[in-house]
Amino acid sequence: MNFDFSETLKQWFAALVEAGKDLAGLLELEEADEKAAASGLRQGLARLAALGYLRVQTRQTDGDKNGVLALMGAMEQMAGCCPSLFLATEYSTRVFGRAVSAWGSAAQRTRWLDPLAEGVLVGAVALSEGAMNVENEPLATRGQRRGDKITIEGRKQSVVNAPAADVIAVAGSLEGEPALFLVPRAAAGLTVSPRRVTMGYAGVLIADLTLEACALAPDAVIAVPDMARMLDGLRFWENQVLVAAALGQMRMALDAARDHAKTHRSGGRPIIAYQEVGFKLAEMLTLHQTAQWLAYRAAWAAEAAPKEAQSLTLCAKIFATEAAERVCGSALQILSSTGYLKGHPAEVAYRAAKYGQIAGTSTEIARVRLGDEAMGWR
Amino acid sequence: MDFGFTKEQLMFKQEVLRFAKKEIVPRVQEHDLASAFDFAAFRKMGEFGLLGLHLPETYGGQGADVVTTVLAGEALGEAGVDGGLTLAYGAHSFLCADTLFRHGTEDQRRRYLPRLCTGEWIGCMGLSEPDAGSDVAAMSTEAVRHGDRYILNGTKMWITNGPIADVAVVYAKTDPGQKHAGISAFVVEKGTPGFSAGPPLIKMGVRTSKTSELIFKDCAIPAANLLGREGEGFLYAMQTVEWDRSALLAPFLGSITYLLKRCAEYAKGRVQFGRPIGHFQAIKHKLADIRIFGEAARALVYRIAWCKDQGRPLNHLEASVAKLFIGDWSLAVTNDAVTLHGGVGFTHEFDVERIFRDTRLAPIGGGTSEIQKMIISKLM
Repeated sequence: MNFDFSETLKQWFAALVEAGKDLAGLLELEEADEKAAASGLRQGLARLAALGYLRVQTRQTDGDKNGVLALMGAMEQMAGCCPSLFLATEYSTRVFGRAVSAWGSAAQRTRWLDPLAEGVLVGAVALSEGAMNVENEPLATRGQRRGDKITIEGRKQSVVNAPAADVIAVAGSLEGEPALFLVPRAAAGLTVSPRRVTMGYAGVLIADLTLEACALAPDAVIAVPDMARMLDGLRFWENQVLVAAALGQMRMALDAARDHAKTHRSGGRPIIAYQEVGFKLAEMLTLHQTAQWLAYRAAWAAEAAPKEAQSLTLCAKIFATEAAERVCGSALQILSSTGYLKGHPAEVAYRAAKYGQIAGTSTEIARVRLGDEAMGWR
Repeated sequence: MDFGFTKEQLMFKQEVLRFAKKEIVPRVQEHDLASAFDFAAFRKMGEFGLLGLHLPETYGGQGADVVTTVLAGEALGEAGVDGGLTLAYGAHSFLCADTLFRHGTEDQRRRYLPRLCTGEWIGCMGLSEPDAGSDVAAMSTEAVRHGDRYILNGTKMWITNGPIADVAVVYAKTDPGQKHAGISAFVVEKGTPGFSAGPPLIKMGVRTSKTSELIFKDCAIPAANLLGREGEGFLYAMQTVEWDRSALLAPFLGSITYLLKRCAEYAKGRVQFGRPIGHFQAIKHKLADIRIFGEAARALVYRIAWCKDQGRPLNHLEASVAKLFIGDWSLAVTNDAVTLHGGVGFTHEFDVERIFRDTRLAPIGGGTSEIQKMIISKLM
């Protein structure tokens, strides 16, 4: 047992925070239009690639930094600096990248993961469809072999990075077998809808896809051994990202609220001296620290105790994402009108917080799964 | 970072689980309904080695590390041992015996620890008073030196094991002009003239632990019964906080695991509208929330235990976070567990009712949630 990150990792985290803060100030992604968001993402990826951040879990880096637990610690740091850059980076690197890494052929890994790790390629994963629920509804997106090509038909919703991606891994089936279709952004038959305007993550480009007779070469197909495994894997990686995002949101909001409470005076004393404020901050810190340790433990389990990892990650996801909304909401209350201003870190974090409960395995579905597991039904 | 336990630690936890299920759990309901302390179970815990688990073998203990001690406590809760007995165990082993070990002279250690480790004697700690609960420095119990004796006067309140204890670690002011720095610690044996315990309090939960006042009326004790040095009592009392936030919370972690199993069993067996209620999403959500709470609490407690094993000074902020989270958040899930059981959850037929009552102490005992919030906000 050991509850400390190594000194090497701590130094790496510090470098990531420095880069993340620089990038947040430079890119202003939360205020960006589509073009600026796309170009900002590429600038961000280039800077993060130089720190080895984009190699973790996709292209081997040194042992200390390559574990899931180290990744959770690193993602948490990045998420607390620039939420939109973080989310876009992770859906590209850690969701798309890990899918190719886990199930792709050697040639596919070389083709896609090297540029991904160098920060010159943006990836996306298209999973959800009309029903949005991949637990209860089979995927309708299908591929068929036609001569030396494979043609795909389907519609996907709310695909993170779709307007900016160079390649999109589209989940579906190929003649009854589960598959990920690696669709280049410029592929004929692929239509990306206008960017969706979202409540939070204003700098993330999210859109829907339509695939109509979209023709691909056979080497653009990743055959996945089984559909449940594919869906579980994609959701698992997505959930890890969303847990880290929640930790970062809490950190942003908590820091802003604490600093304000220590410096803003009312009735002749800092407002933290009032129990209504001090106690609220104590509750916020408690939620943040508790979520943090649960997230670390779930990340540790991903490698050390795989049987527990899925359910522990669901526990962490439910707890952290719900805590994030609560902590960010309390921060806004403490910050009063200051926090309500557009672009304030607490405001940005608050708007982003809801996404974590909806995306990945929604908190409702996650609770059903945990309940089933408690009864031995899963 | 590594959250794993050693094979030996996990094996020991299983041994404690088996022991508790066989030797203690069959007696729990009977004792809870009678609000009776289970002396026999307590002695068996001593024979098994639990009561002095973390103390050196020289004094009758087992020499276990803190993480192992936490796992043993967790196993007690997981087996279904009630919060009353585990509270009595905590007050005995950590608040009393550990203080005697840390600050006692060799003579004091030799006299008390072997008896406490076997359970032949029961220990308690007297710190709170009727008008000095969270505000310890306001205590009015005094110990006045007269030659080779101290004369104690005052009343202690909410003392776990008070009515049944053979030996008490008692905190009193030796310098009433001072606040915390005026507090000293003493060891007082049952039967000492002028020392008595009040009648057991009738409590909502943790009924098998006996709680009372400790009353000192011109109680003369030898000066040799001073623990450590004069004026350092508050520091000694605060050192028990490490135990309070780790080993004392551990059985509670286990009881949440136990509660989840009980609720899941019930949800699978109870049929309404033609199917087990476990098929309804609302029930699954309640089960999920119990699991999430247990998992979230676990790492907080393990971390404090691990830090103590590393010899690190207690991080008061993190300790308060653990206490606040477990205290406040436990209420909703134990309440849900009762609701999930419907009418029978409100009866003694199912022990979720007892666990709910026992848990209600969590945000009160060992420092209320409000005190934890004060500490955290000051340290932020």
